[in-house]
Amino acid sequence: MNAFDSLMAGLSLVGNIQAVLALTIGVAVGVIGGAIPGMSATMAVALTLPFTFAMPTIPALLLLLGVYKGGIFGGSIPAILIKTPGTPASSATILDGYPMAERGEAGRALGMALWASCTADLISNLALILFAGWLASFAMNFGPPEFFTLILFSLTIIAGVSGESLLRGALAALLGLLLATVGLDLVYGTNRFTFGDPNMMGGLNFIAVLIGLFAIPEVLAMVLNPTGHLGKTRSIGKNWVTFADYRRSFKSIVRGSFIGVALGSIPGIGAAPSAFLSYSEARRTSRNKEAFGKGEVEGVAAAEAGNNGVAGATLIPLLALGVPGDVITAIIIGAFMVHGLQPGPTMFVMNIDIIYGLFIGLILSSALLFMIGSVAIRGFKYVADIPRRLLIPGVLILCIYGVFAVNNNLFDVGVMFVMGWVGFLMMRYHVPAAPFLIAFILGPLLEDNFRQAMLMSGGDPQILVRGPITWFFWVLTAVTLVAVARAGFRGVQDKVRVKTSS
Amino acid sequence: MRSKALAIASAIPLTFAATAALAEYPERPITMVIPFGAGGATDISARTIAKPLGDAVGEALVMSNVTGAGGATGSVAVQNAKADGYKMLFARVGSHTVSPAMKATLPYGLDDFRFVTVYEINPVVCAVRPDSGIETIDDLIAKVEEGGVSYSSSGVGTLLHIAAVMVLDEFGVEDPLNKVTHIPQKGGGAAATAVLNGTTTFVCTNSSALSSFVANDQLKPILVTTAEPVAGFDAPSAADLGKPELEQLVGWTGIAGPADLPDDIAVKWGEWMAEATADPGFVESMESFGSIVELMSPEEASAFIEGQYNTFRALADELGMRIEG
Repeated sequence: MNAFDSLMAGLSLVGNIQAVLALTIGVAVGVIGGAIPGMSATMAVALTLPFTFAMPTIPALLLLLGVYKGGIFGGSIPAILIKTPGTPASSATILDGYPMAERGEAGRALGMALWASCTADLISNLALILFAGWLASFAMNFGPPEFFTLILFSLTIIAGVSGESLLRGALAALLGLLLATVGLDLVYGTNRFTFGDPNMMGGLNFIAVLIGLFAIPEVLAMVLNPTGHLGKTRSIGKNWVTFADYRRSFKSIVRGSFIGVALGSIPGIGAAPSAFLSYSEARRTSRNKEAFGKGEVEGVAAAEAGNNGVAGATLIPLLALGVPGDVITAIIIGAFMVHGLQPGPTMFVMNIDIIYGLFIGLILSSALLFMIGSVAIRGFKYVADIPRRLLIPGVLILCIYGVFAVNNNLFDVGVMFVMGWVGFLMMRYHVPAAPFLIAFILGPLLEDNFRQAMLMSGGDPQILVRGPITWFFWVLTAVTLVAVARAGFRGVQDKVRVKTSS
Repeated sequence: MRSKALAIASAIPLTFAATAALAEYPERPITMVIPFGAGGATDISARTIAKPLGDAVGEALVMSNVTGAGGATGSVAVQNAKADGYKMLFARVGSHTVSPAMKATLPYGLDDFRFVTVYEINPVVCAVRPDSGIETIDDLIAKVEEGGVSYSSSGVGTLLHIAAVMVLDEFGVEDPLNKVTHIPQKGGGAAATAVLNGTTTFVCTNSSALSSFVANDQLKPILVTTAEPVAGFDAPSAADLGKPELEQLVGWTGIAGPADLPDDIAVKWGEWMAEATADPGFVESMESFGSIVELMSPEEASAFIEGQYNTFRALADELGMRIEG
């Protein structure tokens, strides 16, 4: 069977109303699930799984993939509107999305999020279709030493999201690294900073920390100063993103998509680091760096491109090797197995029609995401019109419900409130929250991979420079550090010059 | 202070309610705690049985994932629950035999639960890379004696951790803890991937986690721990190799309540499970995951779990694997 025949066979599997309907429902469910804080894309996919057992193969898989794609985009809606990421991957979207909503540009931010998501989704799907085999074998070269150097490099993002003061950013990052050490030690299985409480043994819940850090400080600020917002406009404002915005951000979107594809094809990283990396790269190369973090539309575009770029690429190790890259694809593998499919190289031989069917369905999903996303935005954007005195109590209820729902554990709600006060104090003293979060995500990865590498080599640090991939990331880290140091140095010089001239 | 007053106030009507409830259990939805994350082996198993079990029970089953610390967080939630049968736990090999056998710091023990059933058995398979030059378990043992062999697991105190050690111990490796390196990973998927990308030499894990890798010739199975051969895995069984003790080494999923769960409730669960596991759709789904549906009554389940725990505990004590800190 040649490629054309396979394509036709795939088309015949997808080209029926049932398959398209499953995909449409999937995307819609995903967008709504992603938009509910605490529900998250992962939970939405897990809840959909049992429904697919009785369905035919192709609609079942497309339904799940639709939920996945929709969920990753849906998370950006509450991130922009109420500073509460619906799914961890959209935490980078807050940085510029929420300031835009504050300024009355919620519609523009949401529109850009959608356009960037769909573009990245399409690029990611094309990468899957064209380069799956090649990218998968590349990803298999990533052992613990390679991971360690990659994560080390990713930590330099902190410099990009620290805002005015690198020192304050570093302080926030240290705090994040510290809190990430709570829980069970990976290698020895002993308790760390759990104070004998079983609830602490699992570590601090990521979503509780996330929502506590971003959304709760807004609530606290409102409680302490109930009339502070009066006089500020906060409406939908300029309704929709313009094509000029899109063209201006296009480079960042494409870059973000490729970052997403690269990180997505490597199992075990996930969408949140990709979004942050894409964001910090967009800021670094932008001409108006100063605007980032204060409501720059390109920041929203970069963050959303980064996380949606992952969504197609995580299927690369899944289909090419049978390796699930994250929790969501692990659930999707379950669906493959229920339908008697074994993802991996032989599936490209035995079930090539299904593979092509999935490819066509994925391309279709980008278009469906655009349509369903537009409708969803039209519905959700009126949230921005709600007066703040009504909105904030609503946000608080949503946060409590959302954090509880993640794990059905009241302890997590407590963690959220404690982190809320931490976040509030950080806001008061101009310590940025984003570096805290990045360190909290990357810290455990850094530590685990370092220790795994040391176990592999019996304690010999030479393993950390064992191949070209590690060299590449060491050089990249060094270059970035030098650039950051030089920029910092220049900043000091500028300040001195301003002082002497005045 | 207020919460205490509230608790006392609400306890009074509850004591009356409890006696009434026993007569016609269940009269309201039952919360089923899944102590592992969405998409894991326990979660998929739990959600697969949810439908037929819910039909048998006649009341809604509320599936709730309470994750963290290798299943400990969710297990503690049920350990401390009222023994009225309205909060039950999906117990799993890792959280209920391996962890109790290996971790002195665990906030619960086997005595804190009453097991009402075990309904799923997962054979354990040891696998290596096809290009590793290891063809049989004897090759692996020879290589262990040379040194430089490592294995991956999904964390300390998991089935994968003790499985590799137990296999080496059974095949006569002295002091396996120091001869091979344990490289824990986060999760079962990552443990299999670690063998695939050459980070570790071998892994012993549930057959379901390896079936697609074996079908695709990416990994080579060298041992299955059941008495019978496992379909799709071209490797000798424990019985073939004359190691019947290894047949203890299997994964399982069951259901448990708090320790003082009344007898009549346990009996009811036994009946419901018999009905649920007879559902052909359920059996078919479970088998497609590579699991064996094997229903145990409350007594059989307790005896099975106790037996496995004692085996693991003896091994952990003998080799000094207990984690005290």
